[in-house]
Amino acid sequence: MAHGNPTGWKRWLFSTNHKDIGVMYLWFAFIAGMIGFGMSGLIRMELMEPGIQVIPSVFGMNDEQARHMFNVLTTGHGLIMVFFMVMPALIGGFGNYFVPLMIGAPDMAFPRMNNISFWLMPPAFILLLLSTFVEGPSGMNGFGGGWTAYAPLSTSGHPGPSMDLAIFSLHVAGASSIMGAINYITTIFNMRAPGMTLHKMPLFSWSILITAFLLVLSLPVLAGAITMLLTDRNFGTTFFDPAGGGDPVLFQHLFWFFGHPEVYIMILPAFGIVSHIISTFSKKPIFGYLGMAYAMAAIGFIGFVVWAHHMYTVGLDVDTKAYFVAATMVIAVPTGVKIFSWIATMWGGSLRFTVPMMYAIAFILLFTLGGVTGVVLSNAGADVALHDTYYVVAHFHYVLSLGAVFAIFAGLYYWIGKMSGKQYPEFLAKVQFWITFIGVNMIFFPQHFLGLQGMPRRYVDYPDAFAYWNWVSSWGYLVTLVGVMLFIVVMAMTLFKRKKDVADNPWGEGATTLEWTLSSPPPFHQFNELPQIK
Amino acid sequence: MFPALMLVLRESRDIPDPPLGSDKRESNVMTVKRLTAGFISTVFAWLGVATSALAQSTVGGAPTDKGLWLQDAASEQAQKISDFNELLLWIIAAITVFVFVLMFYVMWRFREKANPTPSKVTHNTALEVIWTAAPVLILIGIGVISLPLLYWQDQIPETDMAIHVTGNQWNWTYNYPDYGDIELTANVVPDATFTNASARAAAEEELSSFLGWPAKLNARLLDTDYRVVLPVNTRVKVQLTASDVLHAWTVPAFGVKLDAVPGRLNETWFEANKTGVFYGQCSELCGKDHAFMPIAVEVVTKEEFARWVELQGGTITAENNPTSLGR
Amino acid sequence: MAGEVKHDYHLVDPSPWPAVGSFAILVMLIGAVFYMKPDALLFGIEGESWAHWGFGAGFALLIYTVFAWWKDVVKEAESGDHTPVVGIGLRYGMILFIASEVMFFVAWFWAFFNASLYPIMPTTAGTFWDVIGNEAVWPPVGIETFDPWHLPFINTLILLLSGTTVTWAHHAVLHDDREGLKSGLWLTVLLGAAFTMVQAYEYGHAAFGFSGSIYGATFFMATGFHGFHVLVGTIFLAVCLGRVYKGHFKPDHHFGLEAAAWYWHFVDVVWLFLFVAVYIWGG
Ligand code: HEA
Ligand code: HEA
Ligand code: CUA
Ligand SMILES: [Cu+2]
Repeated sequence: MAHGNPTGWKRWLFSTNHKDIGVMYLWFAFIAGMIGFGMSGLIRMELMEPGIQVIPSVFGMNDEQARHMFNVLTTGHGLIMVFFMVMPALIGGFGNYFVPLMIGAPDMAFPRMNNISFWLMPPAFILLLLSTFVEGPSGMNGFGGGWTAYAPLSTSGHPGPSMDLAIFSLHVAGASSIMGAINYITTIFNMRAPGMTLHKMPLFSWSILITAFLLVLSLPVLAGAITMLLTDRNFGTTFFDPAGGGDPVLFQHLFWFFGHPEVYIMILPAFGIVSHIISTFSKKPIFGYLGMAYAMAAIGFIGFVVWAHHMYTVGLDVDTKAYFVAATMVIAVPTGVKIFSWIATMWGGSLRFTVPMMYAIAFILLFTLGGVTGVVLSNAGADVALHDTYYVVAHFHYVLSLGAVFAIFAGLYYWIGKMSGKQYPEFLAKVQFWITFIGVNMIFFPQHFLGLQGMPRRYVDYPDAFAYWNWVSSWGYLVTLVGVMLFIVVMAMTLFKRKKDVADNPWGEGATTLEWTLSSPPPFHQFNELPQIK
Repeated sequence: MFPALMLVLRESRDIPDPPLGSDKRESNVMTVKRLTAGFISTVFAWLGVATSALAQSTVGGAPTDKGLWLQDAASEQAQKISDFNELLLWIIAAITVFVFVLMFYVMWRFREKANPTPSKVTHNTALEVIWTAAPVLILIGIGVISLPLLYWQDQIPETDMAIHVTGNQWNWTYNYPDYGDIELTANVVPDATFTNASARAAAEEELSSFLGWPAKLNARLLDTDYRVVLPVNTRVKVQLTASDVLHAWTVPAFGVKLDAVPGRLNETWFEANKTGVFYGQCSELCGKDHAFMPIAVEVVTKEEFARWVELQGGTITAENNPTSLGR
Repeated sequence: MAGEVKHDYHLVDPSPWPAVGSFAILVMLIGAVFYMKPDALLFGIEGESWAHWGFGAGFALLIYTVFAWWKDVVKEAESGDHTPVVGIGLRYGMILFIASEVMFFVAWFWAFFNASLYPIMPTTAGTFWDVIGNEAVWPPVGIETFDPWHLPFINTLILLLSGTTVTWAHHAVLHDDREGLKSGLWLTVLLGAAFTMVQAYEYGHAAFGFSGSIYGATFFMATGFHGFHVLVGTIFLAVCLGRVYKGHFKPDHHFGLEAAAWYWHFVDVVWLFLFVAVYIWGG
């Protein structure tokens, strides 16, 4: 086949190469992550002390506008971190780069569709950013209705075009993810190397496969829900407007039918990455491989039938709540299987504490902490006290910011040598790990106390009694800031190295998946001759 | 009207049994709480921050400085939530500690130096069965306590009176359907009032004359210009809706939190067992001033309540409240 | 590791269409927002003056991209890039796409059943405490619905018939019967167009509006999105018909046609659910 491999900007813009597209996803996630991280900084600085002081001076606005601006920041932070940082990094980035390598495929099933999956992300992000510069509620800019976009605050509460742009942003990001998901499923089902049965497939590929199913089945429901928002806003339908017999709670059902699978979409690929790293640096095959794979499948499946645990206080009837309590708690079982299997993998191993391993271990510990607070929240009886407080914020940052994000860091350190051919500086990276580890725990652990004391989330200002732990949390952010800066330094030191210095398999006997059989970085097209598995 | 009402509520509940007898274990509870607080502060002492034991609050229910735990309960509901949450804390703390200890042991015991040749064990059926079954049992244990609590909270017993609460951007309107036409709208007391002594005095005077007894403002962002007044040891049904967007009415000390949804009627209940001022804050994002529509409930003796109703020009038909029978 | 390619997968050449299409979507959607809100300001400029152009230009570019992209696909298919294993991949892809479409309709059915099983009394802020005790019914008071056994039933027959004609076309291609293939496709396309026209006529005579009531909202959005899918399916089939005249499709190589048929059956099944739930049960 005649292959003009274009160079320069065309290589990227017109790409049909899964590795190039994966790299673009990672850069995109990095940029979006910095913006989302910056927004969380503004949030934390504003909340450092009672009163409203930081936003008015940063944005040069009055007190009233600042109150709305805070909500815009929280909303933007949530949306960006979820849709434009974690998903592109874990699924688009690592998924694209490593799924074909691990299953012994030359590329993705639909390389050109793969490219539009990526290139829809910048427009989606631009739409979201643009939404902050146009009118939301009358007289103020931006959408401040939370990443959950509950109606009617997202309909009659924000009459301006801001919310319309945000809706379209989600449509586009959703279309991108659906196409990506179809691509992964097809690739994994159809392009595994000869001899690689599903039951021999590496766990990261398993995690992406299950994630892709969650995406295909949940995102279209979100698309429907936000389309209803759009027509309610612009064409006079009354899906969520009681004046026409509509029901605001309908939106919440539709949103969470998507939203809960979404949180597992963000964590399953993280599970996959962590499995590889734990196995590699224990020099042992993963313990209970099949159990690990089917635990993820179970999590994905049950994830579809627990959505209303986000809605315990909307006035559901008690039997419904009871069902959702029971269903939600069930998820702790397969998740526990994963936690214990990781520990069992390490048991009897020969552990090397490289930076990816440190991140992976931290992931297991901190995810457990975040997971068990999820179990507290799943009990509707207790959730009455904790719903919409900082306890929930603490819960989901432990599983996301200290879970999914730690897995991104872990994966990046694990694979940067493979992707770039250059190895990261070990000592500095360790320092980076410790600073970040301390920082994020300092941010989010005290938020449990705030939540128990009743501090509601999405508050720009709070009663003085909450001052102390907020202050600690905000200082935690500053520590984390140092960690993130150092991360940039470490990555720059790696990427700007003159010489490539990574062997095909720098991690030794524990790294057994196919990507380690290729050169570092792998050739532009790998597996022109398909590998034979066992 | 009632069947139709049920349709609106989308549920049909049986009229439940009255709540179980409340057991007051104040002192006992306090020791356990101290223990909990102590436990938390020891474990996380590495944070390098001094944690105080639970501070005593001066008002009936409000967050306390450096607080670590739920606000003090002022109703049976809140007490049960607090007890349950405490139980959950012990369970999840045990699980977390177990995982942490196991992990640290493995990290130490199987480090490269200590164990240079890795084993190749990848299966152990007995272990796998145990770590699947043990969580199942723990969860069943939690469920057995959780679900009865949920049903008890959710099923509204016979109540003595009701209030209608309407959430608006950004204040709360209260009606007392059982006491004539009393209606009040509670707005947050602006920050400026707290920094300006004469404004504060004026606000307190206004509040005092509304209540009919002297009152003080207690906390920025918690106090409202007028307060909901309710009698102590009285079962109150709260009927909630909203006029524009979602809001949520919550008072932590009563163990109550429920969304106010436009077009829907939501109901909950509580019975305050202490007098005092109890604070809560809107708990569903409702726009710009979401943080500025607190809830302040003043619980008083029944006699004082009757006086207040009279002061407001309401009518007392306590024997025959239209909303007092069941639901 | 240059080496010659020893597998049957399709390594697609680099293509400008994804990036161009994404750009078109961006322009179109920004245009659409300010087209819907002509008075609103984007950086101080009212949508009035430019948004319809933006929307139109983006839309045109998108259509052009779609056309060019699929032209490439057809070219590749005819030039032998679609080996058997690639064909299986395309089948997976189409099935998954249809699965996602099914979930999209789940949202609209959810809205419909939410409103019809648990009707809510229309209330506004001022009237809430007065009307909250009244019983709500479905269809809402004052809504006059369609007789399902009239035009909707005719449309059901049309669609069912078109399901059989598309199967005819498929069987024809399997037996390399070009004439049967053409007739089957022509009939399907015409029946699809007939359905659309009947539906448009019906919309024109609806006794209830699109806005203001949950009945109109669920009815028109559910049947409207179905109608949109009929339109897309008809175009898909028409393209296949054009390809037939160009001599495309072999008995063992005609996935484009098969995909169109699958899609058409999916549209058909959605209609049956709409007909039973929205027209008969909910009418
Ligand atoms: C990666 C994302 C992620 C993950 C993995 C989870 C995992 C879980 N979540 Fe979380 N959750 C979120 C992200 C996530 N969540 C987000 C973003 C929100 C807020 C959304 C918003 O409102 O904005 C939220 C909110 C949220 C709520 C709603 C709270 C409220 O608003 O009132 C609830 C309630 O049930 C809940 C429960 C759970 C449970 C039970 C799990 C379980 O899957 C956890 C299972 C894990 C463990 C339990 C630990 C390991 C297990 C063992 C060691 C075995 C032994 C354990 C036991 C026997 C208990 N979550
Ligand atoms: C993945 C999701 C994610 C992540 C990573 C974070 C990270 C952080 N969040 Fe998060 N947050 C949410 C998801 C997330 N958040 C959501 C969904 C909400 C709810 C929104 C709503 O209410 O609507 C929320 C709300 C929320 C609040 C509550 C706001 C409110 O209620 O008003 C606060 C307050 O402190 C907060 C703080 C922070 C901080 C300080 C960080 C971080 O600073 C912590 C440290 C983070 C890092 C160190 C990671 C930085 C990552 C990168 C730089 C990318 C690297 C990528 C590559 C290299 C590819 N967040
Ligand atoms: Cu009202 Cu938040
Ligand atoms: Cu959830």
